Amino acid sequence: MVIFEYNSTEKAITVIFKGRIDYIAAGELNEIIQTEPLIKNRNPEDKIIFDIGEVEYIASSFIRICVIHAKQAGSGKFSIINCQPFVKKTFKISGLDEMLNIS
Amino acid sequence: MSENLLEIADGILEKAQLAAAEFHQFNQEQTDKIVESVFKAGFNCRVNLAKMAHEETGMGVWEHKVIKNVLATQLVYESIKDEKTVGVIAYNTHTGIAEIAQPLGPILAVIPVTNPTSTVMFKILICLKSRNPIIISSHRGASKSCAEAVRICYEAALSAGAPEDCIQMISSGSREFTQIMMAHSKIALILATGGTGLVKAAYSSGNPAIGVGPGNVPVFIDESADIPFAVTNIISSKTFDNGTICASEQAIVMVKSIEEEVIAEFRRQSCYFLTSEEMNKVEKIAIVSETGSMSPQVVGQSVQTIAKLADLQVPEGTKILIARPEGIGKDYPLSGEILAPILAFYSAKDYGSAINYCIDLNYLGGIGHSACIYSNNEKRIMDYAELLNAGRILVNTPTSQGAVGMLFNQLPPSLTLGCGTGGKNITTENITAKNLLNIQRVCRRKPNDLWFSFDQSKYFDESLVADDIITDYYKNH
Repeated sequence: MVIFEYNSTEKAITVIFKGRIDYIAAGELNEIIQTEPLIKNRNPEDKIIFDIGEVEYIASSFIRICVIHAKQAGSGKFSIINCQPFVKKTFKISGLDEMLNIS
Repeated sequence: MSENLLEIADGILEKAQLAAAEFHQFNQEQTDKIVESVFKAGFNCRVNLAKMAHEETGMGVWEHKVIKNVLATQLVYESIKDEKTVGVIAYNTHTGIAEIAQPLGPILAVIPVTNPTSTVMFKILICLKSRNPIIISSHRGASKSCAEAVRICYEAALSAGAPEDCIQMISSGSREFTQIMMAHSKIALILATGGTGLVKAAYSSGNPAIGVGPGNVPVFIDESADIPFAVTNIISSKTFDNGTICASEQAIVMVKSIEEEVIAEFRRQSCYFLTSEEMNKVEKIAIVSETGSMSPQVVGQSVQTIAKLADLQVPEGTKILIARPEGIGKDYPLSGEILAPILAFYSAKDYGSAINYCIDLNYLGGIGHSACIYSNNEKRIMDYAELLNAGRILVNTPTSQGAVGMLFNQLPPSLTLGCGTGGKNITTENITAKNLLNIQRVCRRKPNDLWFSFDQSKYFDESLVADDIITDYYKNH
């Protein structure tokens, strides 16, 4: 499940994920994100925030999706928020936590 | 110059190898007699050696160095004295496998300046127990006290019948010579206790090495914890030898709901919370800005010395300086490892965020080392252990004295704490004598009945898949 929100004051697109993101779910989510108008028509100044506070499991393919969006968003424009400790550890083990700006 | 150093190294290793050849013939009784003699001699000099180390290095507290020397002799001896390290040490009647312990050969033992005489005696005891000659390479800042510890142990070993040159010491000289020694073909193993650079050099030498990793020990105080008890223990640990043990606490983390209580308790027990201006002053003298690593001038120093260096006024009798960095990482210098009575302090909005702080601290240069939790909630204790990458997860325990073992728990007493692959080590264990043995396995014929009763021609039939084979393989006629 995924919800998109736009905050015009903050110039931030927040993508809220919920549940378990396994390999299949990650693929489906990627489709949804890629075709979402807020993302497709994003202004380069807009930040992208992935809120994964209600995510309990992530597949490696989801980490790849995060990396793709971090690169597309540009330096300092991408972040991941509300990580649960188990998911935080998963990002740490991947070694990609710093580039993904996780809090 | 290098040729000369090579010749010196050859000479030392030749002697060590002769000692190894002789030592190899010793039985358990002879070995144990030597170990007992060295333990007693080292133990009897615990106070003098502690004072010498303190005077020479200018680090720590001599009384605490006495305790370290006691751990390194009495408690290490107690833990290994009954261990079998010679000949057949185990036989499994079910598998028919017998295990024979063999010594490794000459061991190069690198000694840190923070725990010099204790590490010397600890390494000598575990090497002698495993019948390995040892060559001590001390930090140049502690060479005199290490030499004295070596002299005492060597004389005691010889008096108990140990081979000549079973303990040698190389004069703490150039880095080049240490590297020549590390890479020497006659070195069987390097026991590398020290900084990251040294440990990496040991692993890069081409010889087997047991190293240690740096620590950055987070302490989570859970809401279920006994807060005064937790604070008392943290203080007793962080002030122990002025924080020189790499397992000492580095950061305290809790949820906001107990923050005030924790702060009040630290203050009540004579700890001082730095203002942000004071924190900046401490950062400047405690951290080398170019590298982000701790400055040697604060290692093992008292709060009063650190305050003087930083030009701070702190109340008399202050035990620990506590800083409140706004984050964790390179931009927040006091969030990393500092072997001195300085702590970082973090208050999180909720439990999940608090654990995330601990994970961040753990991964900021302390992977695989140690972590601590004060809690009476069993689920949270086990969750914490699962989430942190630490060889030792200490529960309701001061980490300095807890991680080295045998004082607050039953971990093997050790001054070489493995940090697993996260710390670039091969093990997370507290290193002891059993890690210094080659174990031979004598495997008597015990045919696998399943294998021999199975029609092995079936393996060549490509039409049979795993399920077909497995069903047949385990068929109980």
